[in-house]
Amino acid sequence: MATTTEAMAHTSSTAAEPRRADRFVVTTALTAAAVLAALIALETAPFLVALFFVGGVLGIGLYHGAFGFTGGWRRFVVHGRGSALRAQLALLALATVLIVPVLVFAADAGLSGALAPVGVSLLVGAFLFGFGMQLGGGCGSGTLFTVGAGNIRMMLTLVFFVVGSVLGTLHLPWWLDRPGFDPVNLAGGLGAGGAIALTLALCAGLAWWVTRIERRRHGDVERRLLAGPEGGVFSSLFKGPWPLIWAVVVLAVGNLAVLLLAGHPWGITFAFGLWGAKLLQAVGVDMGQFEFWSWDYPAMALADSVLVNVTSVTNFGLLVGAMLAAGLAGRFNRASQGRIPPRSLLAAAIGGLAMGYGARLAFGCNIGAMFSGIASASLHGWIWFAAAWVGSLIAIRLRPRFSLSND
Amino acid sequence: MGANRTYSRARLAITLLVIGGFILADHFASPTFRRNMGEGGFETTLSQRESQADACAPCGAPCPSDQNNAAD
Repeated sequence: MATTTEAMAHTSSTAAEPRRADRFVVTTALTAAAVLAALIALETAPFLVALFFVGGVLGIGLYHGAFGFTGGWRRFVVHGRGSALRAQLALLALATVLIVPVLVFAADAGLSGALAPVGVSLLVGAFLFGFGMQLGGGCGSGTLFTVGAGNIRMMLTLVFFVVGSVLGTLHLPWWLDRPGFDPVNLAGGLGAGGAIALTLALCAGLAWWVTRIERRRHGDVERRLLAGPEGGVFSSLFKGPWPLIWAVVVLAVGNLAVLLLAGHPWGITFAFGLWGAKLLQAVGVDMGQFEFWSWDYPAMALADSVLVNVTSVTNFGLLVGAMLAAGLAGRFNRASQGRIPPRSLLAAAIGGLAMGYGARLAFGCNIGAMFSGIASASLHGWIWFAAAWVGSLIAIRLRPRFSLSND
Repeated sequence: MGANRTYSRARLAITLLVIGGFILADHFASPTFRRNMGEGGFETTLSQRESQADACAPCGAPCPSDQNNAAD
């Protein structure tokens, strides 16, 4: 089954086939970027134009770096190979070093970290998300960048991601009444230096554990993180594939850029619930009757344009950036070749629903909750990681029942 | 490249145009567009952003203002 994010990512990184740009896709992506950027510039504010382009760079980085969280977790669980997981840990470490000092020392500048409560809602939501991302074939960022690259199956995952997100917004207030406690900011108790040191120690400890298991199982360790480009630097930059370290740096610096521009770190999935709620409202459903959509931020987002919603604008940029990258690589829609088994489509629907519902309960996805949460020194990011890992372990075992390969 | 193309150009263009239509329709019905057209007296996302001391992260957790309202 070659339609999952990871399968696509593998295809993307295959060097055997020469990469020839698809001029139509590249032109279309650049046109879409120019039109959207002009519209945002004319109608909103300069910082949103900048966010749109940051989203575009993130989309290019995710595609060319083939940076999938889902596949990396599965590759370690099934095959005992840890290079992708170590790259994710390096990403968390670098982003923490970049973001925590900004949050602590520029607290008066109106910046806020991705801090969220810890409780039943977080545990259940992250577990569901981890479960869903293995069946859906991609996480929050993975779903979005593969859709941008023209993956048909992932479009189905995204549709159900939106449906699940809307359901999650309706139930979130009930979940928040379950046991839990207020957000824990590690930088508050330990200071910026202590929070960074603790996070780096945790990342290093996990990387050591991953490496130990890989070496025990294979007798050697993949060293892909610091590997150089497969072709020339210029060709790799535009056509891919990128060395993992390039993607790590771009994603970490990109998250910092989102924080400086938007006032909070990178998030993806709030926009999915918003898009679904807007569609329901357009067909006559009064979303204001639901508590979540009466809160200040969601209510304003629902009433106003998607072009002034930070998460939506970043997502639009990410989609167009991934499309451009896939066009430059000559691989747009390549992952949708061949027949898609019906069971795989069922898995995409179940996975999308679970991810959408879980993301709302857990205050975000692997990006908004885990990546941005940990990089903000929030305890909930680590708990999200652990609960999603458990959900992933279960779903990995179920994948073959849905005609999804674990190879 | 054309021989290896796995997608329909027309379908791709139509899909993007439909998405663009949704975005425009949503924008034309928004307070931000009405304010840009010269109307006033109502809050927009950008004015809400300027009036708040801290940005509210769109993680889904209640903003501090919502928590304060709930506690009142």
